Amino acid sequence: MTGALIVLQPGHSVVTDLGRTKGPAFGLPVNGALDQFSAKAANILAGNGDNDPLLELTALDFRMRATTDLLIAVTGAPLDLSVGGRDCPQWEPVSVRAGETVTVRGIRTGLRAYIAVRGSFTVPTLLGSCAPDTVVGFGLKLVEGTMLATQKTTAPITQPHFGLPLFRLGLAKPEFTTHPVIDVTDGPDVAEFGDTADLLFTTQYAVSPRSNHIGLRLGGALPERQLTSEVLSRGVPVGAIEVPSRDELLVLHRGRGVTAGYPVLGVVTSRSLDVLAQSRPGHTVTFRKTTVAEATAMHRTACLELDRLRNTVNTVFGLLGVGAGQRWHELSPASGA
Amino acid sequence: MAAATTTSRTMLDIYESGDAALRVVAQSGDAETNWATVHSLAGWLASVGVDGIHGAVPTYDSVLVEFDPYLTSARQVRAFILLGMRQLDFVGTTLREPRRFEVPVVYGGSYGPDLESVAEHQGLDVQDVIARHTAKTYVIRCLGAPAGSPMMDGPDFPVPVPRLKDPRLSVPAGAVSVAGRQAVIAPAVAPGGWCVIGQTPLTVLDAAREPLVPYVPGDELRFYRIPAEDFEKYEGQFLEARP
Repeated sequence: MTGALIVLQPGHSVVTDLGRTKGPAFGLPVNGALDQFSAKAANILAGNGDNDPLLELTALDFRMRATTDLLIAVTGAPLDLSVGGRDCPQWEPVSVRAGETVTVRGIRTGLRAYIAVRGSFTVPTLLGSCAPDTVVGFGLKLVEGTMLATQKTTAPITQPHFGLPLFRLGLAKPEFTTHPVIDVTDGPDVAEFGDTADLLFTTQYAVSPRSNHIGLRLGGALPERQLTSEVLSRGVPVGAIEVPSRDELLVLHRGRGVTAGYPVLGVVTSRSLDVLAQSRPGHTVTFRKTTVAEATAMHRTACLELDRLRNTVNTVFGLLGVGAGQRWHELSPASGA
Repeated sequence: MAAATTTSRTMLDIYESGDAALRVVAQSGDAETNWATVHSLAGWLASVGVDGIHGAVPTYDSVLVEFDPYLTSARQVRAFILLGMRQLDFVGTTLREPRRFEVPVVYGGSYGPDLESVAEHQGLDVQDVIARHTAKTYVIRCLGAPAGSPMMDGPDFPVPVPRLKDPRLSVPAGAVSVAGRQAVIAPAVAPGGWCVIGQTPLTVLDAAREPLVPYVPGDELRFYRIPAEDFEKYEGQFLEARP
């Protein structure tokens, strides 16, 4: 049975997924959830696939009303979540009864939050992803009154011992801080910056208000390229650190243009890109040098944590009978996906 | 960090670019060979379709290969790229027959606000800049930012064109720009640091169409000048290959 919700107060919200990984080959940025860990965790906690469409909220308060019984999970930056007037925990599955309003207020310490709804949404895709692309003008626009259809409804899960949390799934939540340390590997062009490259690791940088999903602009002492030759346009990875002007450092994020003609000083690790996605103007950032091998290991540790969470959620949902009676219909074809 | 790697015929440098990408640079010493190499390698990677490799972004002498560091690793992808180069050495590089595109452009004025400063920097007069820009048959070298821009080797100018010191926050769709030794058309509205010398009224990109842009790397393109009063006449038409 399909369900639905209605957006009452969109704030700054979009429907997105983990990104358009086929996009860069066609000149489109990958886009998608900027804090991938929080987005995956939200979907897992809601019993969805990691890459299923979900809501990404940036900075502003958000309200929606369920028109059917739903199961949701809210992750990302600390915030105040209430459902039908009751305070509810983040990073746990939460039942929403038909007619109840879900309110997110006061996103703080970080910038972005994620709401996954069990059964996810049916939304248009481009090159296999629903992630909005502001440059080509793709993506569902959420306004007051937008109705989102979900592929499932979930009957309320009741807690017999009033006052106790319904779930305690034990995910190690990421830390949120106004002064994160960001891991960086040497970029392919680090040698062009000579000794000034070290400034990256000895400077405290301030996040500029001009930062967005394309890139973060950071003020502070800037490494300087020692060459003056023009650079041929090259594909640049998400996380690339460039020095395009004398004012600010640029750290490219998931909305980045796929090619650029600036030398790449360093590259932020996949894990730290999630942390940077939570940095807002006024926060400060310091960089720490790491290696690709260490960065890969850290990323895999985070992925394994999510795998463990997925197993726990499957077990708990199975014991609670979440989705029982519909199981045959929910089996996906054996595609390995 | 950089490992120079020799395969039987082609010299490649493979650079780490974070934990989820590698930059592969062809080092044959010949620009055409380098370009054919990186585009063939990208085509091979796309055709083989490996779990964990998201895709490849080939440009002039380099290709960025992006991957999922959970499913694979920089080390494995590097080995796979070398395997691809062996394969290409064996089967050779095949590029498809180019198509031709002709692009009307209004030069200067509000359509090309940097035309005069480019002319001044080149030590040419404005007419000469336009003449050189329209004289050349360009090969589309790669799809770039934003949104599948056709990146081309620039016109025959005396010196490279410097990028703008203060990039514009918004450049209109159809903007015709130059920077360094490169030329481009902007398919969509986006910020830009290149010098805008003109604008085409044609629509280059339409998110509702597949493919999003009508050209692929290797296709050929020429510009021709139209007067400002003809701009509206062409508006709403799509850029399409000549029959």
